[in-house]
Amino acid sequence: MDRKTSRRINIAICLTLLASPCALSQSGDEEAAYSRSGADTCIGCHDNAATMSVFKTPHGVPTDPQSPFGSGQLQCEACHGPGGTHAGRVRRGQERQPVIRFGADSEAEVGVQNGMCLGCHSENVGAAWHGSSHDNDEVACASCHQVHIAHDPVLRTASQPEVCFDCHQQQRSETMKPYAHPFDEGKMSCTGCHSPHGQTSDRLFVRQTLNDTCFECHAEKRGPYLWEHAPVAEDCSNCHNPHGSNNPGMVSLRGPMLCQSCHSQPDHQSFANGPDGLANGSASKYLLGRNCLNCHTQVHGSNHPSGSKLMR
Amino acid sequence: MAGAGMAIAALTMLSAPQAAAQVDTSDWQCQYCPFPVGYEAEVEVGASSVSDDALRFGNVSGYDESGFYANLGGEGHYSKDGYQLNWFAEDLGLSSRVFGVDGGHQGKFGFYLGYDELPYRRFGTTSTVFTATSGDTLVLPSNWVPASLTTGFTALNGSLQPQNIESDRQSFRAGGSFQASSDFSVFIDYRRQNRDGIDIVSGANFIQASLLPRVLDFQTDLVDTGIAYSNGSLNLSLGWFGSFFKNNAKSLTWDNPFTPFTGAEQGRLAQEPDNEFQQVSLSGSYLADSIKSVIAFSVAMGQGEQNDQLLPYTINSTIVAGNLPRPSLDGKVDTTNYALTLTSRPFPKARVKLGYRYDQRDNKTAQALWSGVVVDGFQSVDSELNTPYSFERGRLSASGDYRLFDKVRLSAGYERTDLDRDFQEVASQTEDRSWGRVRWQPLGWLDVTAKGGTSRREIDSYDTDIATGFGQNPLLRKYYLAFRYREFGELMIAVSPSEKPFSIGLSAQIADDNYTKSELGLTDSKTTHVSADLNYALSEQASVYLLGGHEQIDAMQSGSTTFSTPDWQAAHEDRFDHYGVGLQLTELRENFDLTLDYMRSDGTTAINMLENGSNSQFPDLESELQSLRLNLNYRRSERLGFEFSARYESFTTRDWALDGVEPDTITTILTLGADSYDYDIWVFGASVRYLIGER
Repeated sequence: MDRKTSRRINIAICLTLLASPCALSQSGDEEAAYSRSGADTCIGCHDNAATMSVFKTPHGVPTDPQSPFGSGQLQCEACHGPGGTHAGRVRRGQERQPVIRFGADSEAEVGVQNGMCLGCHSENVGAAWHGSSHDNDEVACASCHQVHIAHDPVLRTASQPEVCFDCHQQQRSETMKPYAHPFDEGKMSCTGCHSPHGQTSDRLFVRQTLNDTCFECHAEKRGPYLWEHAPVAEDCSNCHNPHGSNNPGMVSLRGPMLCQSCHSQPDHQSFANGPDGLANGSASKYLLGRNCLNCHTQVHGSNHPSGSKLMR
Repeated sequence: MAGAGMAIAALTMLSAPQAAAQVDTSDWQCQYCPFPVGYEAEVEVGASSVSDDALRFGNVSGYDESGFYANLGGEGHYSKDGYQLNWFAEDLGLSSRVFGVDGGHQGKFGFYLGYDELPYRRFGTTSTVFTATSGDTLVLPSNWVPASLTTGFTALNGSLQPQNIESDRQSFRAGGSFQASSDFSVFIDYRRQNRDGIDIVSGANFIQASLLPRVLDFQTDLVDTGIAYSNGSLNLSLGWFGSFFKNNAKSLTWDNPFTPFTGAEQGRLAQEPDNEFQQVSLSGSYLADSIKSVIAFSVAMGQGEQNDQLLPYTINSTIVAGNLPRPSLDGKVDTTNYALTLTSRPFPKARVKLGYRYDQRDNKTAQALWSGVVVDGFQSVDSELNTPYSFERGRLSASGDYRLFDKVRLSAGYERTDLDRDFQEVASQTEDRSWGRVRWQPLGWLDVTAKGGTSRREIDSYDTDIATGFGQNPLLRKYYLAFRYREFGELMIAVSPSEKPFSIGLSAQIADDNYTKSELGLTDSKTTHVSADLNYALSEQASVYLLGGHEQIDAMQSGSTTFSTPDWQAAHEDRFDHYGVGLQLTELRENFDLTLDYMRSDGTTAINMLENGSNSQFPDLESELQSLRLNLNYRRSERLGFEFSARYESFTTRDWALDGVEPDTITTILTLGADSYDYDIWVFGASVRYLIGER
């Protein structure tokens, strides 16, 4: 690796060090003490099952030259940093020199932890990590990823939401509402819609816009239709709360009132639909069943030549 | 510990690739490293018993009705000489089954195949008089007697047949990547989604309508492919995305159960047309070391098309409708999206980010005058011009943060969003959003973040000529177009002492929207949310958690029955509470693992109507979900294990839109008679797990 490339990687790392000055990278020529035997040194003490599970993960593949255990790589010390001093003798009463640990209880700052990951994963993480909301919030890679177990929970659809909900409590609440996408049953993941490593799109959507993201699973609503419904063409969340709602269809307000927020023509659109229209009263067609959709069924658009009122 | 932290920081001078190039590892044999070789798999075989029939319980879960279901699943792994093959399977005995295979040679190439099913179960208490003779035709029984009101349907009760409203989504996925060199990789991802089953649409016949069980037969193909380049400082990705939707049911024709207009014995509507969308994108980032900055960008150009054959104006042969302006829509939408961000650290304690994003939807579908026929009953008096909606949105953003005294971090940001659109009441709007945030970490175990801000959406003007052209009350302001002033705030507290066995998280958010220039329409909306969770490790083998939250959404809207000034208001109050508690025991008596989870959530929506000075309160819309799950795993030996599970779920809703509404309750709407949800279900399961292979 040439010096220029090395400097660039240092910049990538130091950009993640919120509190650690970039000057750290300037001392990069100091020689750090690595262990004598690499992983064999580490395993001498750290041979518990939790640690050894790393060999069941992509980090523990010796035939991949890019893996920490690939030929010529630094094995445990690729991520945990030089462990020569850590593995050395410690005098009585002296504190053992730590290596870099990862996670919430690590002594290493988030920027230091993430810098170790980004040294290899700048491509995987994508173009937009730096300055993304998770980067700005100093979220450690290890806050979401567990690299010492065979199946990282955040990479599995069923277990991923709980990882995200550790911080995103409001979203957890919303997904527990009676009408929500199937997170609770483990059939949908947050990354189905959001890109947690950063995106140049709004709200980290996996596609360019919110609507484009919704069309991934709801392509039938893409159109274009002959008769478009204006708020639908612009933004699905004008009517829907995709994380969950008390209302069927995950709409933000109950019908017919939701529709009456925008439609005020001098007829049924303007009626004050009160509880006297319930089933034990006048049984109003504007209120019961599908309310407005009892007739205007094509709220996402109609392709019928006579469908301007979204009834065909 | 600060000294240790500094020592660690000093060790990060080199990234792993840099250091590896400088360290002599020739003696690092890794002789104690247990690299997996050969085949290993764990398979699950068992059965579950479901206590009762409840179609809604089968939604997503796949447990559609009472009885026994096979528990089949497992996972396996094979590796040799760097080549790997993995598979996994879940719920193979259910309609929510998942299966996947992936493999390859890490660092060189990889591939994957996957298949999953997702059941949608809406109503199991519905019934209809219609029979599907094909995917696009619904007929009435031969003895049906039309009437102008549902109360006159003399053949109704004898003709109703149960009709579940349910559908299934099957998804197939395949793809892979190839590392062409250390810098270049190519990737492809293909997905096919099929959705079939029965959904509800409405067939209107002027002042009457019927809820119809329509056949769903959707197919969508999605393809992502591209090439990525990365050399450490420069990342580039060039991609192509294609989405191809096909609907095998183009229309729906139904017999009109009501006394028809002349010739309107049948109605016909158009179902979702086929569409396709293709997009080319280029994205990337550059680490500009000379200015300690990262520049990221993306550009995407797309085009959507829809050109299905249009139906005639009407199925009513007694109406002499004119010719269509064109036989198909020839609909085209161009999309343009680009973004540029610059993130820089001008000095160690500060970071700034500047960004601009542009999104455009340009609907190029040609306009024409359409002389429609109203609900297959009579010729419309006026021809109408279709309105292909387009918009363009630009967002400029700037934010920065500064670390103060190592314990405090101050952040602030500003965004300006300009949105221009056509054919709507507001042609141009601007939203200014500003916010500030303080993050305080006085101790290693305490993290407090407070954020607050405002946003103000101004519009150039609300064009009442357009509004009245659509027959709207000129005082109405559509909420997504109206002036809006929003205040928002957030408080998050995380307590996680490293030497204590517990952690606590608290979260509170508020968003207060005021549409102060709207006389009619939505005028206020306020969302308040608080939640908390607690995790406590009782011992190395035992832990418990508690969580709970409350959310309230209050909204107010105004309307005018007299088509003048406001004469009614609706106050909406959505409440949602949830609680959860759980216990996890691992390696109990060395061989047992146990998890126990209980969740409860309650949703309530109260709507109060205020009309001419008098209040009328709707009955509360209610939902109550309780869920209890118990799992016990017993490892009989290194290879053999048993799993026992019990699950209880009850779901009850009260919905005045459904409760008491039989098919003929609404005199002008023939409904399907759907009921609110109400079930209590137990599921008991037992499985054997066996590990095979070279452990």
